[in-house]
Amino acid sequence: MKLLKLGAVTAAAAATLALSQPAPAADGIPVANLVDFTGRTATVGKPYGQAKVDAVKWLNAKGGINGKPIDLSTFDYSYEVPRAINTYKQWKQEGVVAIQGWGTADTEALVSFVGADEIPFFSASYSAHLTDPTGKGPAGSKAAPYNFIMGPSYSDSVRALIAWAKEDWQRKGGKGQPKYVHMGDNHPYPNAPKKAGEEYAKEQGFTVLPSIQYTLAPGDFKAQCLTLKESGANYAFLANTSGANISLLKSCETVGVDVQFLSNIWGYDENVMKAAGKAADGVVWVMGSAPWGADVPGIKLVHEIAKNADPAVTYQLPHYVRGVCSFYFMKEAMEWADKNGGITGPNVKKGMYQKKDWVPAGLEGVCPKGNWTAEDHRGFTQVLLYQGKVKADAPADADIAKLIADGTIGMTQVFAIDIERKPEWLGW
Amino acid sequence: MALSLVPCGQFKTTYASDTTLFATPLSRNLVIAGVILLALVPLKIGGVAPVSDYVIALLIQIGYLGIAALGLNILVGFTGQISLGHSAFFGFGAFASAWLGNTFGIPVFFTIPLAGILTTAVGMIVGIPAARIKGLYLAIATLASQFILQDFFARAEWFTGGSSGSIAEPFSLFGLTLAGDRQYFYVVLAYVVIMYLFASNMLRTRDGRALVAVRDHYLSAEVMGINLTKYRILSFGISSFYAGVGGALFAHYLQYVSIEGFDILLSIQFLAMIIIGGLGSVMGSLLGTIFMVLLPEVMEALIGALQSTSWGNVPAVTDGLAYLKEAAIGLAIVLFLIFEPDGLAHRWRLIKAYWKLYPFSF
Repeated sequence: MKLLKLGAVTAAAAATLALSQPAPAADGIPVANLVDFTGRTATVGKPYGQAKVDAVKWLNAKGGINGKPIDLSTFDYSYEVPRAINTYKQWKQEGVVAIQGWGTADTEALVSFVGADEIPFFSASYSAHLTDPTGKGPAGSKAAPYNFIMGPSYSDSVRALIAWAKEDWQRKGGKGQPKYVHMGDNHPYPNAPKKAGEEYAKEQGFTVLPSIQYTLAPGDFKAQCLTLKESGANYAFLANTSGANISLLKSCETVGVDVQFLSNIWGYDENVMKAAGKAADGVVWVMGSAPWGADVPGIKLVHEIAKNADPAVTYQLPHYVRGVCSFYFMKEAMEWADKNGGITGPNVKKGMYQKKDWVPAGLEGVCPKGNWTAEDHRGFTQVLLYQGKVKADAPADADIAKLIADGTIGMTQVFAIDIERKPEWLGW
Repeated sequence: MALSLVPCGQFKTTYASDTTLFATPLSRNLVIAGVILLALVPLKIGGVAPVSDYVIALLIQIGYLGIAALGLNILVGFTGQISLGHSAFFGFGAFASAWLGNTFGIPVFFTIPLAGILTTAVGMIVGIPAARIKGLYLAIATLASQFILQDFFARAEWFTGGSSGSIAEPFSLFGLTLAGDRQYFYVVLAYVVIMYLFASNMLRTRDGRALVAVRDHYLSAEVMGINLTKYRILSFGISSFYAGVGGALFAHYLQYVSIEGFDILLSIQFLAMIIIGGLGSVMGSLLGTIFMVLLPEVMEALIGALQSTSWGNVPAVTDGLAYLKEAAIGLAIVLFLIFEPDGLAHRWRLIKAYWKLYPFSF
């Protein structure tokens, strides 16, 4: 009796839900977009995810993929892995041909799923664990045949930062061994380059100090900053995303830490310079594309995509630019697939292997040159390092474009390196 | 009269008839019919599924959360203890089942109950403080267990895979692997039926009545010869068993277990489920779970409807909607505590009573 009634109630609720769900769009190419707009990494997740939405709007207005429109399904999973996996199952049933993904935790959790279901997964997680398509990497990495990381791997990034730090130490005339420390949350994203970085630092003659943990969610990090101060570190690698780093840089300024901060690609940007003010001065970080204001031919397309979506836009962070790059690499692979047997997962994957050292048409100078093979998914090996310059604290409502124009904040490229595709570094 | 077929008045002559699970053969048959009806839900007719995958996913969610909620209700509603660490046991069951499968190659069919047993062991250890302390102090002790277990999940890489989490095999039976939610639905349904029947039966036994006695007045219970320590720890054990089985079902449903998600918030949600459903009611646990699972979905639908109107789709409204959704869950709990402290189960009894006496409600 009770259960029957229960069934009726459930059925009624289900009917309401079924009615409230939007009908799927007809005959577009189904592509999924997993984004974090409201979670712990939202400060960088929002521009990155928005870039895909804007790119699709622009592309569909220009005729989509060889005349076929893209049907983009965007889902905000708030950086919660179970929600991402649940949504993935739904997408799989809807038959998406490719997924533009986000975090390391969910991407690494989905590796075996997308491999079995043959759905190319273009992640914003640049974890080196995702670069080994065959699983033959000597560090014991799992096979990730359908994963494509759309930037220099975190491990390569941290190697570049350490190479710069070594030069910096010699330039400043530092004596003895410089001290290196890894800082980040105990979470797959900050953990991904930890061992590779510490090992490389040792090779390069650094003393590696015990890592310091601070959460991905912004908080008061004075305790961590005190630990950092007492440890006597010279170079601190910040592995978290920008939201947490704003808090950390401010806390460390209060405590009076004198350390050269190095930041991962998602940990620093113009927004951090604005929000953290002088505390963010001098941080060296990884860039994966040209910035919004760069003087390169391809940036025009990025401006057009952004202005097409929002005419009032004055500035977009590098994460937005990388989002456009990620989508356009996939778009070219899809165009190839369309002409060579149809847009399916395996064909899109093959499409990624067709060219060598290539950049999507129209984005020359913006996206780094990519090179993927069936045995090696370390697509980008060039790592560019920039240094942030902050002259003064800015008001919270200040426009980034204006702050850059009047010189309050700025950045310069300080280092460029091509990380060798060493076989022993594959998948690690 | 004919509506309920329950005689007007008490004519029971044996204890057995007083504690029977179903008051009348009709009510028993209706429950069986209800289960059969639910079993028909995932079927496809001529290749077309009348019930969408989304609804199946919601039903599965209600299933595994409902089992864990029932466990907490046995502890809180029937034994009068308190636990703020239920989600940690739920998580332990999930990891244990994945670990047993990955490390020892045990088929998933067996890892689910085994995970329940492992979780029982952990729950009984955590329950030891309950032998000495109660009320707020016990709440804090269980809160500690929540954090200790969460930290254990993050560090015990051999068991959980650390911060990367672990993969859980799909459900398989004698070499036959279940594919997709529609087939897994039957596994969850079977467990829901077994676990709810077991709980209903257990509460009619000597041990079950002892638990209720501990809740109602522990001094009287002790005077009557009930071993308080034994039954309090036993209650923690049973509660953990349910949480462990629920967690294991969750693990093999998602096929991946992450160390996130088993936090204090989920523990509070389990408490909310049994408060809304009705403390001390087996069926209330399921009703409360249905409410808690459907509430965000209904809110989502309402917000979607609001956004499709011309007056609702302005930034001032849409920006606030995300918060509104979260606030609604809190509001629901507060409103239930004020207006329906005995939960949905009580409301259900009132509805039944109304129809039993209809149209003469005096």
